[in-house]
Amino acid sequence: MELIEFLNYCVAFFTVYTTVFFLLLFLKYRNSYYAEPEWKGQTPLVSVVIPAYNEEKQIEKCIDSILKLDYPLEKLDIIVVDDGSTDSTLAKSKEYEGKGVRIFTKENKGKGAALNYGIERAKGGLVVTMDADSYVTPGVLKKLIPNFDNPRVMAATPAVKIAPSGKAMREFQRIEYLMILFSRKLLSYIDAVPVTPGPFSIFRKKVFDEVGLFDENNLVEDQEIALRIQAHNYLIRSSVSSMATVYTEPPDNIRDLLKQRVRWQRGGVRNYWKYKYMIRNEFGDFGLFFIPLNFATLGAFFIVLGLLLNALFSNPYYTRYIIAESIVMSINMFTVIGIFVLIASFVWLYVAITSFRTEKVKLRYLLLFMLFYWYLMLGHNVLMTLAELRRAKCVW
Amino acid sequence: MSLSLYLIAFIISAAIFIAGIYVGALLDEGDVQTLSSDVSSLSRQLTTVQLLLLMDENSSAFCPVYESELSAIDDERERLGYELSFLEEKRNIDAPELKKEYFILEAQSHLLSKKLKDLCDVESVLVLYFYSNENCSECGQQGVDILAARDTVASSGIDVRIYSFDGDLGSPIADAFVNEYDIREYPSVVIEDRVHSGYIPKEELVEEFTK
Repeated sequence: MELIEFLNYCVAFFTVYTTVFFLLLFLKYRNSYYAEPEWKGQTPLVSVVIPAYNEEKQIEKCIDSILKLDYPLEKLDIIVVDDGSTDSTLAKSKEYEGKGVRIFTKENKGKGAALNYGIERAKGGLVVTMDADSYVTPGVLKKLIPNFDNPRVMAATPAVKIAPSGKAMREFQRIEYLMILFSRKLLSYIDAVPVTPGPFSIFRKKVFDEVGLFDENNLVEDQEIALRIQAHNYLIRSSVSSMATVYTEPPDNIRDLLKQRVRWQRGGVRNYWKYKYMIRNEFGDFGLFFIPLNFATLGAFFIVLGLLLNALFSNPYYTRYIIAESIVMSINMFTVIGIFVLIASFVWLYVAITSFRTEKVKLRYLLLFMLFYWYLMLGHNVLMTLAELRRAKCVW
Repeated sequence: MSLSLYLIAFIISAAIFIAGIYVGALLDEGDVQTLSSDVSSLSRQLTTVQLLLLMDENSSAFCPVYESELSAIDDERERLGYELSFLEEKRNIDAPELKKEYFILEAQSHLLSKKLKDLCDVESVLVLYFYSNENCSECGQQGVDILAARDTVASSGIDVRIYSFDGDLGSPIADAFVNEYDIREYPSVVIEDRVHSGYIPKEELVEEFTK
């Protein structure tokens, strides 16, 4: 069998398998999707660390939303760490001094360093990391805190979403965030949550003593800390409840979006490579399924890209005389499997979006997302590879 | 690890995969059958022209009819040839019997064209292209160059008709042509009965076509 044909079969089977596995996972747990531990009146002291660098447009909205949490104010320890901003972030934050908010300022050393600076000064047994460009719904703490009744749970993540806007770019990212949230919830059923997102993830403070603080040089420090927690065999829980919603601001243009995605992807690949030693039985599904899945997905992307380029550029000369016929004749077994995967992906997307009862997404955005945006975003793998090949500096 | 879920996913995936292979095989078979029936239909058309010619072998009265018929047949024959190659190269479908049938069609078509060239004074260049799918690293490029050269001279109104034969397939008719022109290596190109052994670049082909 030719190598190309063999690779075709491998990618086709891998794609079908992954799609089927996640659909089965959803079917298995569909009834407990919204079932989360109940709040029993516990109000431990919670430190909320908000690192902020040039966030003058968002910082007030962020702090205001924390102050409006449905949680006793005296049980909140709000820490704003100004990471050497050059705008009015510090001045705007200082207006909250004395209202239950502590303000610190330090020279600019990046988000990880600012988070660590805040965590070192946190008084609570639970520590929340909060991106300054995000804001929370009031019930989020009461929804997430009960997860810590289980002593093995070291972190809990909220339902990070993008508020509806009607603008295409934003709507596509909104769909994407809902899909990520949906996937993260399913992964939590096999104890394989791979990230504790920047906006409002809660940690047991002692976890930082055990596994260490955030990696200050990491491109995606919120993923790296989650992998480190997984490496210590602790649990991370994920909520999809609308009561645990945190809204974040997405990039509003393609350039910034690609920049963000390339950073995520570069950081992600480096992190999974760093934790490849977890591909062992003792790390359960996370080690034996999720980490290999990430490498396989990346490999499959490059194989598909190679196959596409090969198909495009190795077309025999004579196909110019039979353009229509060659398109029809290209339909083969892989087309059949491809159609199945396409249908399954659409079902997956539809199930993911409709699983959020309070989220309404227009069908046209869903279709455009699936037919264009999804594949366009896969391009970040190419940009990531180019960045790695020219050894581009890793900047946050 | 919830092994059962992974196992069920594997079984379902394998079932989908096998179904995909089965449907793929049906598609392959369907495509070969369609081509096979096209070859048969074209063969009937060629036989009709052949019979017409036999009825009055030396009269040029029907030349316009022969010419237009053969020209249409040639277009269709070429299309079938490309489709056959596409199935072979891009879909890895091996259909040696169909290829042998197709070579008979090519041989018939070539002989008729040669006959009409003399009888009706048709201004076309007849090219026989011998290749091998087994041991010929330059055959792919030679095929491309022949087509490209034909496209180049077509703008000057020169009509080039190409008949290709896989010399290693074991087709009796292809072997007969190989012996007839004493072909000893691949690729080889016969332009108006002039044998050129080995690879010829496009520029030289253009020159040969315009001689």
